Amino acid sequence: MTFLIDANVIVYAAVPSRYREACLEALEAVAEGRADGRVSTAILEEIWHIERSGRAGTIDGLARRAYRLFTPLLPVSDEIVARALELDAPRLGGNDRIHVATALVNDIGTILSADADFEQVRALRRVDPLNDIERSRLLQR
Amino acid sequence: MLTERLQVLMSRTQRRRVEAEARRRGMSVGALIREAVDARAQTVPVAQRRSAVDAIRALAGGRYLAPSALERLVDAERETPLRGLQRRPRR
Repeated sequence: MTFLIDANVIVYAAVPSRYREACLEALEAVAEGRADGRVSTAILEEIWHIERSGRAGTIDGLARRAYRLFTPLLPVSDEIVARALELDAPRLGGNDRIHVATALVNDIGTILSADADFEQVRALRRVDPLNDIERSRLLQR
Repeated sequence: MLTERLQVLMSRTQRRRVEAEARRRGMSVGALIREAVDARAQTVPVAQRRSAVDAIRALAGGRYLAPSALERLVDAERETPLRGLQRRPRR
């Protein structure tokens, strides 16, 4: 099953927290080709901003390594922007709308994310990295 | 250089869709399929992808921020150059 991987999963794989091992497990599954997790240009841009800000500590090189792991990235196209603008999710921010639309336009029905805001969108299923059962299911092709 | 020939079986619906999309984009069906392969297939070898994950695992100087804090941080970073432009004196 193809799924979208949110920026927080990649950042949490790089910083000490209760999420770290679960997020690293997801990245390892993608690296080995056991799981079909995808990242978009918008998600990679977020990781880069977080890295460059320095406010999530020293995570130098994270965006470059994430790129190497996830290329080819899903593009954010005109169609995706149009879909994001029409999305019926009043409390969802612009960035998250783009991610939801990226998933929907690419027929992706699941996002791996620590952000519960995605649960506002009926068409998309959020899997929390800490949910061992759902994460394990997701990481099996 | 295009030297490999590949025969692909697809449903009638898929064929109609791919032909309609190629027509809409003013390209050949072959070019559309080649573009889709480039956009979809992983290009980095497994060993390099594993090495990227190992390097992420080795990062030790990071700090946890909640998802909402990460979103605010991204928004602030995007606005930084704009704020810089606003401070520039007008000519």
